[in-house]
Amino acid sequence: MIELSNVTVRYPNGVVGLDDVSLSIPDGQFVVVVGLSGAGKSTLIRTINGLVPATSGTLSVDGSEVTGASKKQLRAIRSRIGMIFQSFNLVKRTTVMNNVIMGALHDVPWYRSVLGLWTAQEKELGYTCLERVGIVEKAWTRASQLSGGQQQRVAIARALAQNPTVMLADEPVASLDPPTAQMVMKDLQRINRELGITTVVNLHFLDLARAYGERVIGMRDGKVVFDGTGADADDAAFERIYGRSLTADDVLPGRS
Amino acid sequence: MSATATDASALRPRKPGPSGVLIAGLAAVAAFTVWAAIQIEFTLAPLITNFTNGWEIIQEFLTPNWSFIFRVWEAWVETVAIAIVATFVGVLVGLIFATMASRVTNRSNWFYRVVKVALSMVRSLPDIAYVLIFVALVGVGSLAGILALIMFNIGIAAKLTAETIDAVDQGPLEAADASGSGTISRTRWAVLPQIMPNYLSYCLYIFELNIRASVVIGVAGGGGIGSVIDVQFSRFEYANVSAIVVAIFVVVMAIDQLSQYLRRRFV
Repeated sequence: MIELSNVTVRYPNGVVGLDDVSLSIPDGQFVVVVGLSGAGKSTLIRTINGLVPATSGTLSVDGSEVTGASKKQLRAIRSRIGMIFQSFNLVKRTTVMNNVIMGALHDVPWYRSVLGLWTAQEKELGYTCLERVGIVEKAWTRASQLSGGQQQRVAIARALAQNPTVMLADEPVASLDPPTAQMVMKDLQRINRELGITTVVNLHFLDLARAYGERVIGMRDGKVVFDGTGADADDAAFERIYGRSLTADDVLPGRS
Repeated sequence: MSATATDASALRPRKPGPSGVLIAGLAAVAAFTVWAAIQIEFTLAPLITNFTNGWEIIQEFLTPNWSFIFRVWEAWVETVAIAIVATFVGVLVGLIFATMASRVTNRSNWFYRVVKVALSMVRSLPDIAYVLIFVALVGVGSLAGILALIMFNIGIAAKLTAETIDAVDQGPLEAADASGSGTISRTRWAVLPQIMPNYLSYCLYIFELNIRASVVIGVAGGGGIGSVIDVQFSRFEYANVSAIVVAIFVVVMAIDQLSQYLRRRFV
């Protein structure tokens, strides 16, 4: 359960990222957030796990207050929130297995982490998470040798290694080709359904938003301007969110 | 045609003349140099007047006593051993300090500043000054040399590595932060793999510097082949000294080449 009430984020340079946003996302929901770049999608996701501090308002995840949490509390909250990035953010010069276990580092004492002495249990967790995204055969490959789609799946496995209750994904398919984008979205959907992990995904392709979003939230200028089901999100709704008529660039190329 | 050409050249700006500030600056540099030379009564005359009485010494220098190189085998081993130990300890401690001397891995503002100041103090002394300090503390010998080089190495390794850390890709760090990992784990896994090639290259470079520094270290009382040179010099055994100097040249060249090869091969 993610609860935002009257959350405003104002960056030090004066830009307002979120403007008085109130939202409630129940457990297990698959939410897609759409909007133009600069509409506040990334800010919303980064506020949920405290990477961006809220200027005012209150925000809680699974009953823990994110706003006003101490560093230690924040680390505990983040350890239960997986995050996936547009640029994957893997450590390319190390193995896939090390990357996945990085998701579980909050539970590993520092001296074992420094020496890379993973227990059998941690490696087992690594294998299990890689199996979930169908890429276990690459466990001991260097991350730099994987394709973009494979890297994003490793990133999903890393997030799963946190054993999260919430999964945040910031434009997870924006740097992938259309078929790979579909595959990654399906992975996220399957994980949401099988493990009941609440999932919030930022997208800018509206066909993907309609296809995968159990709930679609539209943002514009830091405000929520649309909140409905994928079926409700027709072209008229998207034109309202984008503040302009739709173009061919708004759908995933090679689809409609 | 010609009219348009003159029009065009009228529009072209003329090359600006040299700036007055530059000319004044160069004049000031020249004046300072002349002043400094006068202050120390700089002259090349002794080079010529002393050359004749130094001829015997030079002749001795030109006939190196090659067998002496192997008679002081233990001093060579000591020099290399000093360099290895000092490099190993120095770069390891330097790496730890480097992580504290970059805002990427050290998020505490006051701690960052303290480490920066401490490291610039460590770097402010040259290697020979550290030898003199440690000879005073622990006496003449290889221990003084090792401790001196360790201090010297920490300064260099920390500075070079910290600058590399400043430039790493921040993506993995964001991922580590988002998963709630601690400062040490995040440095170990999101930063260290990224800086490893550069860091290994710095380690080899520092080892080279340490071999090269062995002459100065030894002359100042830090053990190794440098102390052999010091002793032979004071006994006026110039044939021995020149053999050692040639051998040092060869050893430094060989280690340079080896380390360049290793860098190409593994980094």
